Amino acid sequence: MNEEELVEYFRAQMRTDPDMASAVAAIRTLLEFLKRDKGETILGLRESLTSATDCLTGVDSSVAVSSGGELFLRFISLTSLEHEDLSRCKKVMEERGELFLEKISMSRTKVAKLCHTFIKDGAKILTHSYSRVVLRVLEKAAAEKKRFSVYVTESQPDSAGRQMAEALRNLNVPVTVVLDAAVGYVLEKVDLVIVGAEGVVESGGIINKIGTYQTAVCAKAHNKPFYVVAESFKFVRLYPLNQQDVPDRFKYKADTLKTGANLSEEHPIIDYTPPSLITLLFTDLGVLTPSAVSDELIKLYL
Amino acid sequence: MPGPDRETDLTERIESFLSDLKRGGSGTGPLRGSAETARETTALLRRITAQARWSSAGDLMEIIRKEGRRMIAAQPSETTVGNMIRRVLKIVREEYARSRGSSEETDQQESLHKLLTSGGLSEENFRQHFTALKANVIEAINELLTELEGTTDNIAMQALEHIHSNEVIMTIGRSRTAEAFLKDAARKRKFHVIVAECAPFCQGHEMATSLSKAGIETTVIADAAIFAVMSRVNKVIIGTQTVLANGGLRAVNGTHTLALAAKHHSTPLIVCAPMFKLSPQILSKVNVHCPVFDYVPPELITLFISNIGGHAPSYIYRLMSELYHPEDHEL
Repeated sequence: MNEEELVEYFRAQMRTDPDMASAVAAIRTLLEFLKRDKGETILGLRESLTSATDCLTGVDSSVAVSSGGELFLRFISLTSLEHEDLSRCKKVMEERGELFLEKISMSRTKVAKLCHTFIKDGAKILTHSYSRVVLRVLEKAAAEKKRFSVYVTESQPDSAGRQMAEALRNLNVPVTVVLDAAVGYVLEKVDLVIVGAEGVVESGGIINKIGTYQTAVCAKAHNKPFYVVAESFKFVRLYPLNQQDVPDRFKYKADTLKTGANLSEEHPIIDYTPPSLITLLFTDLGVLTPSAVSDELIKLYL
Repeated sequence: MPGPDRETDLTERIESFLSDLKRGGSGTGPLRGSAETARETTALLRRITAQARWSSAGDLMEIIRKEGRRMIAAQPSETTVGNMIRRVLKIVREEYARSRGSSEETDQQESLHKLLTSGGLSEENFRQHFTALKANVIEAINELLTELEGTTDNIAMQALEHIHSNEVIMTIGRSRTAEAFLKDAARKRKFHVIVAECAPFCQGHEMATSLSKAGIETTVIADAAIFAVMSRVNKVIIGTQTVLANGGLRAVNGTHTLALAAKHHSTPLIVCAPMFKLSPQILSKVNVHCPVFDYVPPELITLFISNIGGHAPSYIYRLMSELYHPEDHEL
């Protein structure tokens, strides 16, 4: 499977199911790559998978694709230790890969089940930009006949917040779109803040659409709980200490990076929110405090 | 005939336990203090294991859950009952796993690692019958009871490391664990204790009397004076009713005020809480109907002293995962 086929498969996955997380599409693509791979050795397989992941991050530079790829690579390493024979190994990998995909496709439902109990009747929720996980949580809360209203930030530069507002209106949830600059203004009316995450880093902080950090700081100042909902495959092995530490390859869109423009003049599309501002993280592994996240990552990677 | 007699005897005991629970909350009635409640609950669960009719681990867990739900409904504010039930359920799961010979006992939790390496969707329905299971479970429950009996002493033993001579310690209300802690330190050190009386029940008065009988210089203050006196205090040592999963507390009314005052003066706040008070609940699900209890957020707490040592509030979730199985969080 060469580069073009890879990219085409990935794009096709995203097209057929726009609700699918980009990490899941990446893992599906890599699984397909694995199935069609004609290599003879495990090492060769790892190398070709690494280059395939790099190729995919070239298409979609989000953190989630990178974390999904790393997770898949880790999965290969863990499986390959158990079997000697390559063809048997590959068969087991394919089976487990399908199983893994099945499990993570249920993760959003698990997250929604955990989180909707924290939304009380009459609650006013603030959310940022467009997140499918947050949407699923709010869907579940609305299905449980809870009455709540939502404020969504517009989230420039791509106005993703308007898409979120549209989706919420279809659920008959009262929603108001606010300017990104109006977050501080609106926080006194709000009871809780729920955001999604593109990546969850080792310290327990998150990487999400630009503007999340600002919202978190304001929420802390107003003493409002700041909840993050994320699936477990978004856990990534990064430990940024401040905004500068986040690698450039995540901060800008893939096309911007390719054109080689002067990055100091580009606007970053993500920011880092440190764990001290986050109250709780809702994942399919359970409700975690930020300090529990590093524990999970250690269990996986060590 | 031994059969029906045992059944009726068991149901009688359960009914009497339930009525005891309904009558008294913690501190009043025949069940004084949460330690006794925990012990009674565990002893009753041991009796249920021994006397009820069950053939597989799944049946036993179902029976325990059913009785457990009734016990919790009898006195919802007494969380130790629920905690002990969850401990026993975890014991049953572990013994079952051990009997089956699987090495999964250490990795009961969901984790990324498990997601990647497990061979199939785990279908644990606990239907297999093992003859030795009953004996094993009862033995494990006995170990749990021994642990429960030693908790206050274990906590008190750590007192000398934390309390130094000529210190001024503040506490609130009446906590048997904190009392034992302070009395143990008083054997070797001289220090002052200030007790906030904790209206309206004013249990602080009893605490003060008990401490002064042990030879500790004690002063009683009104709750309103907590902030004013805090500047002279070196440490705050308190007990609690429940420890929540995020490291927060559900403690007697007035504790939040105490914690905020301590934070303001940068005074360390130490909570003496035995492991059986750890509850896998997070605040939102806890219905604080009666304002007899306060919620204290984890940011205000410096250290938890439990029978297994000292821990930071951010570590509580880890202890939770060792004590309870995630599927038992919702009984």
